[in-house]
Amino acid sequence: MLNKIAGHEVDRRLLLKGAAAGGLGIAGATMLAGCAPSAAGPLSFGARTVDESPTKQLQGLIAAYTAKTGNEVAYNATESNAFQNNLSQYLQGTPDDCFQWMAGFRMQFFADQGLLVDLSDVWNEIGDQYNESYKIASTGTDGKQYFVPQSWYPWGLHFRKSMMAEIGLTPESITNWDEFLAALGELKGKGLIGLAAADKGGWEAMGTFDVINARLNGYQFHVDLLAGREKWTDDRVKEVFRHWEMLLPYQNTNVLDLEWDGAMQLLLQKQAGFFMNGSWFGANFLEQSQEDYDDLWIVPWPEMNPEHGRDTIDAPIDGFCVAKNGANNAGGADLAKFAGDMEGVQAMLDTGIPMTSANKGQDTSTYDAFQLQQLAVMNEAKYITQFLDRDTRPDFAGPIIGPAFQSWFKDPSSTDSILESLQSQWDALPALS
Amino acid sequence: MSQLKTAVAGTEKTRRRRFFSSRDKVTLGLFIGVPTFLHIALVWFPAIATIMLSFTYWTGIRLEDIRWAGLANYENIFFNTPIFWDALRVNTIWLLWFFVIATPLGVLLAYQIDRQIRGHQFYQSAYYLPVVLSLAVTGIIWNFLLRPDGFVNGLLGLPISEAISFFGDDDYNIWVIMVMASWRHIGYIMLLYLAGLKAVDASLREAASIDGATEWQTFLKVILGAMRPVNIIILVITIIESLRAFDMVYIIYGSSGGLPILGVLVFNNIAGEGASMKGAAYAVILFLLSIVPIIAYLNQQFKEDNQ
Repeated sequence: MLNKIAGHEVDRRLLLKGAAAGGLGIAGATMLAGCAPSAAGPLSFGARTVDESPTKQLQGLIAAYTAKTGNEVAYNATESNAFQNNLSQYLQGTPDDCFQWMAGFRMQFFADQGLLVDLSDVWNEIGDQYNESYKIASTGTDGKQYFVPQSWYPWGLHFRKSMMAEIGLTPESITNWDEFLAALGELKGKGLIGLAAADKGGWEAMGTFDVINARLNGYQFHVDLLAGREKWTDDRVKEVFRHWEMLLPYQNTNVLDLEWDGAMQLLLQKQAGFFMNGSWFGANFLEQSQEDYDDLWIVPWPEMNPEHGRDTIDAPIDGFCVAKNGANNAGGADLAKFAGDMEGVQAMLDTGIPMTSANKGQDTSTYDAFQLQQLAVMNEAKYITQFLDRDTRPDFAGPIIGPAFQSWFKDPSSTDSILESLQSQWDALPALS
Repeated sequence: MSQLKTAVAGTEKTRRRRFFSSRDKVTLGLFIGVPTFLHIALVWFPAIATIMLSFTYWTGIRLEDIRWAGLANYENIFFNTPIFWDALRVNTIWLLWFFVIATPLGVLLAYQIDRQIRGHQFYQSAYYLPVVLSLAVTGIIWNFLLRPDGFVNGLLGLPISEAISFFGDDDYNIWVIMVMASWRHIGYIMLLYLAGLKAVDASLREAASIDGATEWQTFLKVILGAMRPVNIIILVITIIESLRAFDMVYIIYGSSGGLPILGVLVFNNIAGEGASMKGAAYAVILFLLSIVPIIAYLNQQFKEDNQ
C-alpha cells in the first residue's frame, strides 16, 4: 500500500518537473517572486508516527500538497514516544518545517519558549472553517495561534457489538456505575475480562483516572487538581482510587505488561468486553478487516455522581505546528494551512483511513456509523478536556504521575502514601517562569 | 669508557630537549593539543556544566531562563521522589548480581575455554555472540521472546490475558532483566579474561603442578595473582556496567517507570517536554556512585603495588 503511494508521488514529481522544464519555469519563478511570503519548496514534514494507517493518511496529505503547489516535501517519520522525548532537542536543532503535535498545554509550552512559528495569519485565512473551541485550543498564552488542528477523538468505553449481543448485554443502556459493575461481573462470570487495561507505557491509565475524577468530582475539580489549585491528598482524590480499585478484579492482571495495543488485542480477540481508550485505534481494527471495524462501538463512561452526570470527556486534538528553527518557515506555514484547509482534510479523508476531522467542512453525513457514534458521545459532554498529560505540567505528568499510577497498580492498598508523595512532588516543582 | 658514554648521552639528551625544531613543535602541539581540546570540549565541559546545572532550575531551552536552585533538586530527589530509592535498589541488585554471579561465571568460562576443553572454539563463539549484538538488539530479542504475546507465552499456549507477566510483575521482572543483562555481560568478561589468561606464562602453571598443587589451588593462588591487572579492569567494568545500565531497560520499558533504574531516571527527567535539571542531579548522583568506589579501589591497589 505504502509503496503504491510513494510510487504515485514520484510520478507526480516527475510530471511537475517535466512541466517546469517545458517552459513554465521562467513564468513560474516570476509569479512566485510576485507573491509576498513566497511559500516555495523544498520543505520537510515531521510525522510523529510510524504506524501504517496514519502514515498512509499523512502521505496522502503530502502528495496532495505537492501536486497542488509543486513544492517538494521530504517526509520524515519518528516513532511517537521517541518523537516526544526528543522534541525539545529537535526544535532547538534543525527541525522539519512542519510537524505533527498536540493542542493545548503541550503546544503552549513550546510556543512560550519561542520555538514555534506564529500561525495567526493562517488562522485569518482558514479560521472560519473551525469552531471557536478549536481556535482556543490552538492559541498560545500570548493570544496568538501556533497550531492547526487535524483531528480529534473521544475517550470512552469501546466494545464489540457482536460480542455483547452474544452475551446478551446492552452497553448502551448502561448509564450508571452499579449497572457498569454488574455488566463487568457478568462478563467475568463468562470467564472473560471485563475491562481491558494497560499501563506499561505509563500513560494509558491516565484516561481512566481522568474520567473517574471528572465523573465523581466534576470538571472544575479535575481541572483545578491538574493545575495545582487542589491537592492530591484531598479525600475526593482518594475516592477516585477507591472506585478505580473496584474495577481491578474485572481487569486483566498484567496491566503493567501491556501497552495500549496489547489491551486492544484483548478486545480484538474477544477476550475482553470493554476497553477504555481513545477511538483512534479504530484504524487498527480497520487494518484487521472491515468486519472488525464495523463491529466496534463506543459509549460514554457511566455516570458515577448524579450531580455531574456524564458531562465531561477527554477528547484530545492532534494537529500541526511549524518550527521556528526550520529552514523554511513560510513553506511550513503554507503546508500547515493546506492541512487545515478543507482541501487538505479531503486529501486525508480520501485515503480511506477513518478520521474525525476538526474542520467544519467535513460533512458529518460522510461519517461512518462508528464516527457518528463518536460524535454523539462527544456531543453529550458539556466540558471537554484534553488528556491528563496534556492538561498538566509536562515535568509532572510524565516523570511523576506515570510511575505513581504504575506503583498503584502494584499495590492499590498504598493509595494514601502514593497520593501524599504525589502532592509533595508537586510542591517540590519549581515555579513556572 | 662507560662514563664517557653516559656523558655523551647526557649532553645529547639535554640538546635534544632544547632543540625542538619548529616543525616538531607544531607536530607535537597538534598531537597533544587537538585531542586535549576535544577531550575538554566533549568530556570535561559537559561534565562540569552538568554538575553546575544540577544546582539550577531550567527547562533546557533558553539560556536566560536558568535560575539558581541551590540544593533543591537534590532535596527533591532524596526526600520527595520514592522512585529514586526504587531505582537505587534495582541498581544495587544489578551490581550484586553481576559481582556474585555474572562476572565469576564469565571468569569460570574463560578458564574452561583456556583449558582447551573439547569444542572450546564453539563455546567461545557461542558465549561471545551476545556481546557482538548491541544491547538494544539484545533487548528487542528478549522482548520478542517474553512479552505477553511473545514466543514463550505462545509456546505455553497462554492467551494475552493469562500470559506470564515477565516484564510487569515485580516478582519476575528484575530477575528477567538480570538474566538478559548477564547473557551479554558473561561473554564480555569471558573474552577479556581469556585474553589475560593467554598471556599468563605457561611455566607458572607447570611449576605449580610440579609442586603438587591441585587445579583449584593453581587457579586461586597462581593464576589469579598473575592476572591482577586484568582483575582490576574487570572489577571496574563490572561496577560501571551495572550502574550505567540503560539501553536494555529503555528498549523494554521505554521511559516509563516499569523497572526504575538510575540511567532511565536521568533520561526521563532531562529529555522531552518534562526536562528539568533534576535529571542533571540524577546524573551527578550516578557519577558519584560510580566514581567513588572505583577511585577508592584503584587507590588502594596502586598503593599496594608501590610497596
